[in-house]
Amino acid sequence: MPAPLTSEMLEANRARSAAERAAIDASCRGPVLAFAVSAVFWLLMGSVLALIASIKLHSPYFLTGSAELTFGRVRMAHLQAVGIGWASLATVAAALWQMCRLSRAELIYPKILYLACALWNVGTLLAVFGIIFGDGQSVEWLDAPRYAPPFFIAALGIVVAWVVAVFRRRREPHVYVTQWYILGAVFWFPWMYLVTVFMIFWAPATGVVQPIVNWWFGHNTLGLWFTPVAVGTAYYLIPKIIGRPIHSYYLSIIGFWALALFYSWAGMHHLIGGPIPGWLASASTVGSMMMLIPVLAVAINHHMTMRGHFHRLRYSPALRFTVFGAIAYTAVSVQGSFEALKDFSEVAHFTHYTVAHAHLGAYGFVTMIYFGLFYYMIPRLTGREWASPLLIRVHFWCAAVGITVYFVALSIGGWWQGRMMNNPDVPFGKIVTYLLPYLFTRSVAGVLLTVGHLAFAVSFIMNLAGWGKRRSGGPTFFVEPGG
Amino acid sequence: MDRGMVIFLGALLTFSSSWLGLVLFPFWQLGGEKPYQKDETDDPYPVPLQGLALAGQKVYQNNGCMYCHTQQVRSERFGNWWDANGEQRTGADIRRSYGQRRTVSRDYIYDNPTMLGTMRTGPDLANIGVRNPSAPWHHTHLLNPRSANAWSIMPSFAFFYTREKVVGSRSDKALSLGREWTVNPGYRWKPSAKEWDALLAAQGPALAAQVGLDPASAEGKKQLLDYWLTTPEEDYQVVPNADGDALVAYLLALRKAEVPLPEAKE
Amino acid sequence: MSAVDLALFLTVIGSIVLFGGAAALALGWAFKSGQFENFQHGSQSIFGPDEPPGEPTDAFPGEPAPRP
Repeated sequence: MPAPLTSEMLEANRARSAAERAAIDASCRGPVLAFAVSAVFWLLMGSVLALIASIKLHSPYFLTGSAELTFGRVRMAHLQAVGIGWASLATVAAALWQMCRLSRAELIYPKILYLACALWNVGTLLAVFGIIFGDGQSVEWLDAPRYAPPFFIAALGIVVAWVVAVFRRRREPHVYVTQWYILGAVFWFPWMYLVTVFMIFWAPATGVVQPIVNWWFGHNTLGLWFTPVAVGTAYYLIPKIIGRPIHSYYLSIIGFWALALFYSWAGMHHLIGGPIPGWLASASTVGSMMMLIPVLAVAINHHMTMRGHFHRLRYSPALRFTVFGAIAYTAVSVQGSFEALKDFSEVAHFTHYTVAHAHLGAYGFVTMIYFGLFYYMIPRLTGREWASPLLIRVHFWCAAVGITVYFVALSIGGWWQGRMMNNPDVPFGKIVTYLLPYLFTRSVAGVLLTVGHLAFAVSFIMNLAGWGKRRSGGPTFFVEPGG
Repeated sequence: MDRGMVIFLGALLTFSSSWLGLVLFPFWQLGGEKPYQKDETDDPYPVPLQGLALAGQKVYQNNGCMYCHTQQVRSERFGNWWDANGEQRTGADIRRSYGQRRTVSRDYIYDNPTMLGTMRTGPDLANIGVRNPSAPWHHTHLLNPRSANAWSIMPSFAFFYTREKVVGSRSDKALSLGREWTVNPGYRWKPSAKEWDALLAAQGPALAAQVGLDPASAEGKKQLLDYWLTTPEEDYQVVPNADGDALVAYLLALRKAEVPLPEAKE
Repeated sequence: MSAVDLALFLTVIGSIVLFGGAAALALGWAFKSGQFENFQHGSQSIFGPDEPPGEPTDAFPGEPAPRP
């Protein structure tokens, strides 16, 4: 039993711990901010491309006549901008910062990470503009022209090396569940990416093996790259913000290994009914149902951790976004598991229902959690508070209402689209006409989301420009970087 | 601890096997397929694309056609629907004449990239070359899909076409569309009231004499406009460029699920 | 089997061995170093003397976080 600490000793401990945390944040500042700024830039680009594509689907004469802005190209460019640009860069920022904090280790040789960030941006630029100017590959999630992957591979290599290096220098002996998720992601993704690029582009496999590998990759990009880091972020932010440890830490670890085990099976439902061996789709259905285990583990855990603290959603912007994302994770995953069932999937397949589902996952869950992370992380990196609570509220409500409208409209429209497509007596033109109001509603939702993103970008720029109040004291016992 | 180790080693094995199952096994099972020939005199199926059609595949790929059009036919047992008597039936794809049978892996052995597609904003194209073998129709449809189906939301692919002055005689490839579709390719054109009045003043009587309408009455004037818009331009023509020619050649070469294959019997 | 097929085959087999091996090592290490013992302590590892449990750490700018 250690001797009771005097209040001076407590104070000294507290100051030492705060100084250590501040030093770690300071070491991350440059590179993590570089990744975060690029991520937000690509989020804006992706939003504009998304809006163009969305409007074109109900008003085909909008921006018609130029090859560069034809729907097919804009849609491919949108996915690259938000998938490889926004979400992946935000994933890297999240992974680097949290790995440093949780390992209680400073980021070493930060300058090389600038190189990684530059390479990634050049790659995304080549991908987006390459597609716009006619080099799109029509391989979903991998539409980037052939000259882009080398940039991503080099950048990923550096990022992975740095995450692992920070982990190896850790002063905290315990490996927190978030670190498991981050390590899993940085291990799975580069490997998946290399194998897939190899099998589709460098030494193309025959016939339908390509779409099989393609969907194994496409689904796992969400499941084994964005999901682990985003879920891990929620596992760090929620307890940290409300000041209460995870309800069941044991369950969170089980959840991690269950995700690792089952997620990679789930991708083949994208090919249900297609020219692939029947057992593949069946195995995929089993994997999808098994995913209920880790999903419920996360859902129960986050809910129980939050219990009694829901009133804090009013006071903390980061918590709002993160909890929204965590709830969407449960919703989208449970939906996904049931979507893999045969009768369900036979209707939803080839329709906007799937598009709604994908956006609930990529936006409602992943993007919202990264927004939460940015609201928490950026002030601790720049040493500035957010300048405008109003902009944060605008961002939150635009994003929350926007994605909800988006999801509801396309789910309803998509479901009936599927029912009508399965009935050969319904002429195709009728289905197209039926969908128009739903597609228009999607554009309205898209405008809302874009307004939210603009508010966020303005907030971010104001923070970087030093318009916010300096952080001091306050709830985090913040120590000025360098001071 | 020992028990934990066993559980996790088991879990690991399962995990590795998923990569094995999802990537390696299909590769093994599907990688070595050969074209089908009923006997020596029979033509092999499928055959690789060549020439213009091969170039067209690239146009299809680079413009993301796959994101609205699938190229796969699902089986007779896929998807429930209920007919007029309330009886439950299945298999819409074949009834919509997307193919005579479901597509199987052998249909795709020469496809690279294999653009199965995952979205049907537009109809399936696996057998479009059989379902609609008319090149002129595809050209007019690509120039502006509304010229074929008023409800269509497909983009205009006017950038695959060139509008040019007719020198000598009209080109064989010129699209036979009314001037409303060709004056401003990609859009549906209409003269303003002023332009129309000017036009009527200049050539109204000659035009009216051709069809026997009276340009003086409001009704006659409107009917004359409709007639004039649906007749082709005299001194201009719209012809496909290399990409347009190639894309249509590719579409016409899409003939999947039309040749019977033993493995596609149900 | 063509050269391309062989290359693909080796890639996939090689990656499975590499991947499975690495994951096995990670798990083995996690057990040996006691990562799966004392979960109570583990869940506390994100807090420190400066940000102890019980203290909320985020609020809208300019507004104090309410005490629990």
